[in-house]
Amino acid sequence: MKNNIIILGGGQAGIYAAREIRQNDSKSNIKILGEENLLPYERPPLSKDFLLDKKKAEDLYFHSSDVLKNENIEFENISINKVDFENKKLFAKNDNVYSYDSLLISTGSENKKLTLDNNLKNDIYYLRNLEEAKKIKEIVSNKNKITIIGGGFIGLEIASSLSQLQKKVIVIEIGNQLMGRIIPKQIADLVQNTHIEHGNEIILNKQIEKITKKNDDYEILLNDNSLIETDFIIAGIGSTPTVKLFENTNLKLDNGIVTNQFCETSIKDVYAAGDVSNFYHPFYERNMRLESYQHAQNHGICAGKNIAGVKTEYTSIPWMWSDQFNLNLQLTGICDEYDEIIERGNDINNGVIYFFLKNNKIRGACGVGIIGKVGRDIRITSKLTEKDTIVDKQILSDQNLKLNKLIQK
Amino acid sequence: MSEENWIEVGSTDSIEEEDLIRFDHQDKTFCVYKLTDGFYATDGICTHEAVHLEDGLVMDDEIECPMHQGIFNIKSGEALSPPACEDLKTYPVKVDNDKIFIKID
Ligand SMILES: Cc1cc2nc3c(=O)[nH]c(=O)nc-3n(C[C@H](O)[C@H](O)[C@H](O)COP(=O)(O)OP(=O)(O)OC[C@H]3O[C@@H](n4cnc5c(N)ncnc54)[C@H](O)[C@@H]3O)c2cc1C
Ligand code: FES
Repeated sequence: MKNNIIILGGGQAGIYAAREIRQNDSKSNIKILGEENLLPYERPPLSKDFLLDKKKAEDLYFHSSDVLKNENIEFENISINKVDFENKKLFAKNDNVYSYDSLLISTGSENKKLTLDNNLKNDIYYLRNLEEAKKIKEIVSNKNKITIIGGGFIGLEIASSLSQLQKKVIVIEIGNQLMGRIIPKQIADLVQNTHIEHGNEIILNKQIEKITKKNDDYEILLNDNSLIETDFIIAGIGSTPTVKLFENTNLKLDNGIVTNQFCETSIKDVYAAGDVSNFYHPFYERNMRLESYQHAQNHGICAGKNIAGVKTEYTSIPWMWSDQFNLNLQLTGICDEYDEIIERGNDINNGVIYFFLKNNKIRGACGVGIIGKVGRDIRITSKLTEKDTIVDKQILSDQNLKLNKLIQK
Repeated sequence: MSEENWIEVGSTDSIEEEDLIRFDHQDKTFCVYKLTDGFYATDGICTHEAVHLEDGLVMDDEIECPMHQGIFNIKSGEALSPPACEDLKTYPVKVDNDKIFIKID
């Protein structure tokens, strides 16, 4: 049967879904509606190699327009501002109307904004898309002392890149450690030390009271009355799923669009994938929302299969990375449900990993090390997690013993 | 193809099965693998970003990059999984008297 399939949101989950649908369904119309006037592209380099000029905008696209043309996938640059689920229609600002038989929502997430009481809104920069990355790159070339508000992954990656561009960087974090409580404090401290060694200033446990503009510069007043002078401010204070469009509809929302393990939402023929969805994970037997490259890709593929009628459960073990200076940090599984923590290694040069276990089985792990040093072990950990293996803790804790011994058993 | 392009890497028992070793020659780095059906060689650096594949995971016929889990087929060099999208160069391998040689062009 020939269906009209619409993918709302032309990011990573959207493009992977589109191509997967085409793999399984040669007839249906597939149309991606994306508000960025760009084919789907990778976001991870925006805070890293793009700022460092090691990658250009044209290096970031997942696929060329030829690939889309060959697979008969249409991409339209349009912003949707109203949905009518009952009549299966989407409405754009310019009065265009799009009818669908099946809809995938892959609208991603958006940056939280600082609440500022004066009109400094246009003075604070955020990073989510290529346009913002270009702007930041252009402006920082004339700035010297840059303040990053928020010590999460994106803020720290920007801090690392700007430091490599010889800028003086200050990071202000409200919590008592970097990267949030999900990351073991010891790992956060190792990353913090690396930033400090490279000359970045890290301020923890401080809140912004007030930002004042002084000519072309700014003064940031912290809650301990200290003042920071800076000539450019970037905020990375977390993100929220892009769901405003659905707030007054009967689509079930709860920290994103609630989906089951088949990427199905509460409304028939409407699916969601990627950053925007709060999906049920059958292995962990709970819902979760992830913002990661691997998840956007795999979840998009899974949604694509289900839309094309190939019923497929989403069972991927979560995985994400962050690159800062010469460090590569990786997270797998979930690290907030455990009865035991096991540490492997203590030297960042050889890699340090914390495993989170429950009933002698790994639920998740977080590791950091000089580039290349934790990836293999983290990958093996994902496999051990997925297989629900009861692990030999001696092997986990001893860096001289190879983890793949556990997998072969 | 001249004989001298065959470079000795080491003895066949220097690599465990389903594993790899790094081999540096002049200013280049290679990875030499022992798979169930023999020895193979590829460039030693991921095509995505400059990270050594020696720290990656070998599974069946694939090498997975330790940095972002890009995956390559060891025999063909084909990039199988993003963020890796550029293929990895492969090199001919021969075994002579329990010694492994790779042919570098
Ligand atoms: C700076 C940065 C660095 C990152 N680094 C890493 C990293 O190192 N490792 C990692 O694992 N992950 C990283 N991520 C996360 C990863 O990139 C995201 O999880 C992934 O892009 C999510 O894909 P998605 O398809 O769900 O959403 P997105 O890629 O965000 O795509 C959503 C698209 O939908 C569009 N859209 C939204 N609403 C509408 C509408 N109403 N009409 C039309 N279009 C609409 C948006 O404009 C956007 O183009 C990073 C993200 C950012 C921003
Ligand atoms: S460096 Fe190998 S996949 Fe990125």
